[in-house]
Amino acid sequence: MDTAIDSVTDTFIQVSEVWVPDTETGETLVLAEGSYGELAGFEAASRRESFAKGEGLPGKAWAEARPVVLKGFDGSYFKRTEAAREAGLTAAVAVPVFDGDTLNAVLVVLCGDDDTRTGAIEVWADTDGLLMLDDGYYGAAKHFEWVSQHTHFPRGQGLPGGVRASHTPMLMRDLGSGYRFIRADSAGKAGLTTGLGLPVPVPGGAGYVLTLLSARGTPIARRFELWDARSVKVGRDRAAVLADGVCQREGPLWTDDTQEPPRRVAPWQGQIGKVLATGVPVVTSGNPGLSAGYETMVALPIHDDGEIAHIVAWYC
Amino acid sequence: MQKLVVIGAGMATGRALEHLLDTAPGAYDITLFNAEPRGNYNRIMLSPVLSGEKSYEEIVTHDADWYEENGITCRFGEKVVSIDRERKVVVGEQGEVAYDKLIFGTGSSPFIIPVPGHDLPGVVAYRDLEDTNAMIEAAGKPGARAVVIGGGLLGLEAAAGLRLRGMEVTVLHLMGHLMERQLDEAAGYLLKKDLESRGIEVRLEAATNEISGDGKVERVLLEDGTVLDADIVVMSVGIRPAIGLAKDAGLDCGRALKVDAQMQTSDPDIYALGECVEFDGNVFGLVAPLYDQAKVLAKTLAGEADAFVMKQLSTKLKVTGCDLFSAGDFAGGEGREDIVYRDPARGIYKRLVIEDDQLIGAVMYGDTADGNWFFGLIKDGTDISEMRETLIFGPAYQGGAAADPLSAVAALPPDAEICGCNGVCKGDITAAIEGGATDLGAIRAQTKASASCGTCTGLVEQVLSVALGDDFVMPTAQPVCGCTDLTHEDVRRLIKARELKSQPAVWQELGWTTPNGCHVCRPAVNFYLLADWPLEYRDDPQSRFVNERNHANIQKDGTYSVMPRMWGGMTDANELRAIADAADKYGATVKVTGGQRIDLLGVKKEDLPAIWADLNGAGMVSGHAYTKGLRTVKTCVGKDWCRFGTQDSTGLGIALEKRLWGSWTPHKVKLGVSGCPRNCAEATCKDIGIVCVDSGYQIGVGGAAGMDVKEVERLVDVKTEEEAIEWVVAFVQLYREHAKYLDRAYKWLGKVGLEWVQEVLADDAERAALVERFDLSQSVYQTDPWAERAEPEAARRFQPLADLTLEAAE
Repeated sequence: MDTAIDSVTDTFIQVSEVWVPDTETGETLVLAEGSYGELAGFEAASRRESFAKGEGLPGKAWAEARPVVLKGFDGSYFKRTEAAREAGLTAAVAVPVFDGDTLNAVLVVLCGDDDTRTGAIEVWADTDGLLMLDDGYYGAAKHFEWVSQHTHFPRGQGLPGGVRASHTPMLMRDLGSGYRFIRADSAGKAGLTTGLGLPVPVPGGAGYVLTLLSARGTPIARRFELWDARSVKVGRDRAAVLADGVCQREGPLWTDDTQEPPRRVAPWQGQIGKVLATGVPVVTSGNPGLSAGYETMVALPIHDDGEIAHIVAWYC
Repeated sequence: MQKLVVIGAGMATGRALEHLLDTAPGAYDITLFNAEPRGNYNRIMLSPVLSGEKSYEEIVTHDADWYEENGITCRFGEKVVSIDRERKVVVGEQGEVAYDKLIFGTGSSPFIIPVPGHDLPGVVAYRDLEDTNAMIEAAGKPGARAVVIGGGLLGLEAAAGLRLRGMEVTVLHLMGHLMERQLDEAAGYLLKKDLESRGIEVRLEAATNEISGDGKVERVLLEDGTVLDADIVVMSVGIRPAIGLAKDAGLDCGRALKVDAQMQTSDPDIYALGECVEFDGNVFGLVAPLYDQAKVLAKTLAGEADAFVMKQLSTKLKVTGCDLFSAGDFAGGEGREDIVYRDPARGIYKRLVIEDDQLIGAVMYGDTADGNWFFGLIKDGTDISEMRETLIFGPAYQGGAAADPLSAVAALPPDAEICGCNGVCKGDITAAIEGGATDLGAIRAQTKASASCGTCTGLVEQVLSVALGDDFVMPTAQPVCGCTDLTHEDVRRLIKARELKSQPAVWQELGWTTPNGCHVCRPAVNFYLLADWPLEYRDDPQSRFVNERNHANIQKDGTYSVMPRMWGGMTDANELRAIADAADKYGATVKVTGGQRIDLLGVKKEDLPAIWADLNGAGMVSGHAYTKGLRTVKTCVGKDWCRFGTQDSTGLGIALEKRLWGSWTPHKVKLGVSGCPRNCAEATCKDIGIVCVDSGYQIGVGGAAGMDVKEVERLVDVKTEEEAIEWVVAFVQLYREHAKYLDRAYKWLGKVGLEWVQEVLADDAERAALVERFDLSQSVYQTDPWAERAEPEAARRFQPLADLTLEAAE
């Protein structure tokens, strides 16, 4: 892998935070963890905040039981508009983490809008077997946004269709070559390279797929990991094995399991182990224990059939 | 240097070269031919490259730098035309190369069904990167359609990859179910259903009649008259060993190029491996045996002995979200028995085939977690008769499921103390890790945690593991028993840190895998709890060994020995009379022990309360000859009687015994006090031995005279008797608080080091605190068990049960 590209400083996502139901009443969402970089003002505003069901962006994702994309905060239900404006944040995506009918957490990522930040965070919804774009935030990738709005994926096709059909997160390597015709062409032009797609299970069985498409210049992450934690894969003892991953610093993270067993972590063993044990996403930064010396890590559990089925993690 | 020429830069020859360069570096001048214009890549990972889930760069095994670093002359993109065995040269398209040894790694060629139109542009096999790129290219056209002929492993991977790329895909399979060589019908059905849910059309028993099109593939005609539109046709119906060159060279060939167990062909200077070889009638298509062959060939070339043997093979499909596993022979037949498990709601099917109490085949769909375990049973020919009933549920059902070993440490709050010696909390260690400490040494240097006695090392390592994940490799430690993964030291520290004050609390909070422990862990945990929480925890007799439970030592004939305490080895006429009376009354044999006591042997269990009551009546208490606790304090007569005596050794011995008796310790504790260096009380081989000298008292610790014989090491010299008692009591308490259960003092000292013990005890405040904690414990535990059990109610437990078997027989 080319380590020179590691020198970029701007990332597409500027803030990541985890909101969890408060432990006493379970009726409001409170901040569990967040990574705010230098946006101390927004951090302070966030730490003061809490959200009832239906309130603000995290509350809306909870109430509507689906991932929510919000572009433009002014005049919206977003509660931290002023602090966000001062921090230069203009869009946010909230991803609810449900274990069956129970909300474990809401992951919120926020981005700043300018002419250079390129990437995509998309929510695809399954409508009669077709994955249609529910909403998405693309930064400066306007053409790609337009193309995506006019594309749909049958099950099994493309990143959203593949994720939906396999009930499994997937990591696509080169979106610019063959990522479903026109969209691939546009993705290539927008500089989008790596695509992470993951199912977002919600109560009621509606099918949502979240995709994070990362560009070289303003990457969503420099390291992606997909962990498989299904008992049908790892056995009765809870664990997660690293099924796939790429890293700008360490190269491919998967192993040919005929030769070498994949990395395996037990509950509580590191950040992935923490997600495995708690079922709640982790956002951590400034932690030198992070793989390959990255500054920030986000790890998100995907529940299925009463267990944590997968964990996806991305690092900047 | 000998000249080695290799034909084919595939996975088998690549692995053989790696081994050869490891085993015999510099032994050969190597030239490598490859018809493909590139070096070795992981060909079995082409399917994820096709689907977009891997990049080609990720699957390159040997890049240009590797070949250069290893001095290999690469002739890539150049076909070998012929071999001249007479002159020992390989003739390439660009010229000849001489060899001393030659390796054939020519692999295999895809089999193309010779239907009309099979040679049209757009018909591809699925073998190499060119084929893969051709398929990716075809998928770039909007609405493109693909027909995959062959529903085997490779064909289905191609179909899934093409579908993900956005194509409409139809799979044609001649047989009645998919992957019939690896799967049975039920698993094949589930696989078909799974592929169909991805939008892939699967047609079984579908024979291709013709491929047609105007200058390129446009459609496929089936035998039943069906016409399928196609922009690309992928033929994946099997492989044929590529042996044309070998045949032309006159090497002995059957279905493939014949080799012996050293991978040698009929020409002793020519070797072969991989998909082009035939060994013992077998040809090869999966990678595992190829790697075995590579190892054997490298050794052969290095002049070492090795032999290739056939092994069982297993299969997996590289389609994301399709979990299947198959191994061994799963055909039905006489004498074979099936075990089947199905979970229709979850799409799970598992089938095991058993013959002669051995697992011979396994097919799994949807749940492959135990695949490798079953594969191991098949390979090893394990006798499964003992686990037959639960075999299908996998290894976890053969024993208790392990708990989360790190959960106990993860649950500790930041202010929980991990290192008692240096007062280091979990939060301090976490902060050090966040500051960049990533191993035990760095944690010790920065926080002093585990830098003293070291018993918290396991816990510090677990905090590291919680923080750093699998980047931190935990050293393997011996767990207490099969009920837990925690070590004794971990359990001790966690009982303190988490303030666990009952056995159920330990089982639950530390994730015991058994309902309430076992005969190994219960006595240990019982001791740790009573040592740490003397007021809150109540000793559990059921967690004690039989002698401790009955407060007497059981003998080989089933009777017990009874030994009253004689303080410092002193007795008097009244006590001796009581002992003599008891011996008469209960028919006991009398023995003087090495610890200066009198032992009454041969007492029946039901007489124990009565003899205890009698001895109690004469003022004697239990001598605790059966406990992990204070046994005896052996003394000499000291300065009151002996001409050489320097201090009142008997008096000190009595004082110590009266202070220490009744206390539970990790193992037995024996003391000795000698009045002068002549050491008549043999104090220097006791757990604690005091030698009196003119200037005071020399206190030694860690002696033994059992299976191990050890002389004590000097703990300290003190001037007064009070100081001697204080130091001894503090030492015993430190031992009680830190040692692993069943470690004698010398073993514990061997682990924590005498220096650390001296350092702790030299601290006046710490020493006083230890004494205080010991006395607190004694306020509960310094009671005579004989007196308690001589009570009529308690005595009933010692009465034999009525012999009901006799009555029933009558």
